[in-house]
Amino acid sequence: MSLGSWAERTTPDGAPTAVVPSMDASTMKLRAGSPSSPAVHAVDLAKRYRHTVALRGLSMTVRRGEVFGFLGPNGAGKTTTVKLLLGLARPTSGEALVLGSPAGDIETRRRIGYLPELFRFQHWLTAREVLGLHAKLLRLKRRERCADEALATVGLARRGDDKVASFSKGMQQRLGLAVALLGEPELVVLDEPTSALDPVGRHEVREIVRGLKQRGSTVFLNTHLLEEAEQICDRVTVIDQGRAVATGTLEELLGRRSVRLRVSGLPNGWWHCYARFGTWALEGEWLRLEGAATEVVPDLVAAVVAAGGRVEAVIPEHQTLEDRFLELLEAR
Amino acid sequence: MSPTVTIAALTFREAVRRKLVAAFLAITVALVGLSAWGFERLSHSRSLSSAEVAASLPQALILFMFMFSFVVALSASTISSPAISAEVESGVLQAVATRPVRRFQILLGKWLGLAVVLTAYAAAVCALEFVVADLVSGFTPPDPAGAFGYLLAEGLVLLTAGLLLSTRLSALATGVVAIALFGAAWLAGVVGTIGADLHVAALREVDSIARYVVPTDGLWHGTIYALEPRSILANAIGHGSPFYAGSPPSWAYLTWCAVWVAAALTAALIVFERREL
Repeated sequence: MSLGSWAERTTPDGAPTAVVPSMDASTMKLRAGSPSSPAVHAVDLAKRYRHTVALRGLSMTVRRGEVFGFLGPNGAGKTTTVKLLLGLARPTSGEALVLGSPAGDIETRRRIGYLPELFRFQHWLTAREVLGLHAKLLRLKRRERCADEALATVGLARRGDDKVASFSKGMQQRLGLAVALLGEPELVVLDEPTSALDPVGRHEVREIVRGLKQRGSTVFLNTHLLEEAEQICDRVTVIDQGRAVATGTLEELLGRRSVRLRVSGLPNGWWHCYARFGTWALEGEWLRLEGAATEVVPDLVAAVVAAGGRVEAVIPEHQTLEDRFLELLEAR
Repeated sequence: MSPTVTIAALTFREAVRRKLVAAFLAITVALVGLSAWGFERLSHSRSLSSAEVAASLPQALILFMFMFSFVVALSASTISSPAISAEVESGVLQAVATRPVRRFQILLGKWLGLAVVLTAYAAAVCALEFVVADLVSGFTPPDPAGAFGYLLAEGLVLLTAGLLLSTRLSALATGVVAIALFGAAWLAGVVGTIGADLHVAALREVDSIARYVVPTDGLWHGTIYALEPRSILANAIGHGSPFYAGSPPSWAYLTWCAVWVAAALTAALIVFERREL
């Protein structure tokens, strides 16, 4: 199978299908650097460290321009995957293409921004000097302007001339984000980007990620903060013990949906006449319609009103990512 | 600017900004002051004849330079030991290594930056000490440039060894091993001198082998030779002492030293290239 063809595979839990990539050498050569190639395309990536198996045949595809969440519990293999994709470590077996080139390709690195999980910079430099160093390594023109813009984006415009040593952990993470944004990269890999940030900082990072998406960049977000992923990711892959256990859009992953309803003016048990909409459950003053999609809400409300009822509240709900995440891990 | 030069400039700036150079210069100024006092006492000694003073001044300079040779060795191992390992452990290197820069450019840049620091330091040490010796006692070594060259080469050997070790070992372990190698090489030189005096071939062999395995002591003897005036050499004053050199290192030996540094640097490049960050 070529890089351009995709096979649908059912995930171990039987839920949403994952796009399973495969590749051969000739296709890799043809696709190298092509703007239509996926941002990340990994096939059967495995990594063993002496007695520890960090990855066991991970396959995944990240499409261009999407915010991709890479989720998993601690020790699932998230950071190992990032290191393999960036060429910091070599896979024991398997292959990966990043922006159409083999993982770690020198020239492709120019188009990638990376915020490491362990964000540490030369503490004896100022923030502006750190950015200047990375701008030099990227061979950017107008380096000072690029540094100023990156500092302003992450809210460090006034601290540019301060030594990194004087920065709090949160400020160092902001600086790391600024470094990752230098040169308007096509792919931005963020490894736990908000681990040291306060709620305001987290909100700002989410806005930055949305801005990157609007600009057309792909964002690979490695996180264990599910709320964060739920708010900004287009698609996610959940990994556990070095394997992908589910991949899909949030809509696909959080398939279990329901509608909560509060109605007055109808006799008790009225809902039995509306079994066609789904399974009803009584929860105090509320009724829950399990398995109902948002699309049924207008018909449901119209039916209740036609029967003489008063609809006081309608709340479409879906399973939270956290619930789904725990469900996936418990199923293994 | 090539990535190698960028990393070299960063490494040099780090040494200056973290006050490493300033600390070593402060120590050097203090030691040069001490040596000035020694030269002054020696050259104005009433208990020694002028011939004895003339013979003693070069030996005093050699002793002082031995002290500086140790400081150069210490600085070489101190600045090279954290160069790779500490940056990998702290995570600083990961951010740099994911940029469009090859591993060999990072390592070569670090070696170049540290070599510039070491060259500047060795030049400052030699210039200060030789000027002070001349001003206070009137003694000028016959080959000051040669003495500087051998001292620097000795430092570069240790710097390269430190960088090689730093690609695998922690900063602390690297520093300890590098200094231990320097000390062992010097001790082997002393053992060789004793062996030559006592005509014990096995002891001489220890020195001969050690000079090739870790060439710091062989190069130190080049520094000694460059500091000895002809009068000392002609009369073999100090013969049998570890601070006497009857001949300069041969070209073959100097070529070996260059090969040693190149091989150690290549080994460092290979190890670092393979290391997972």
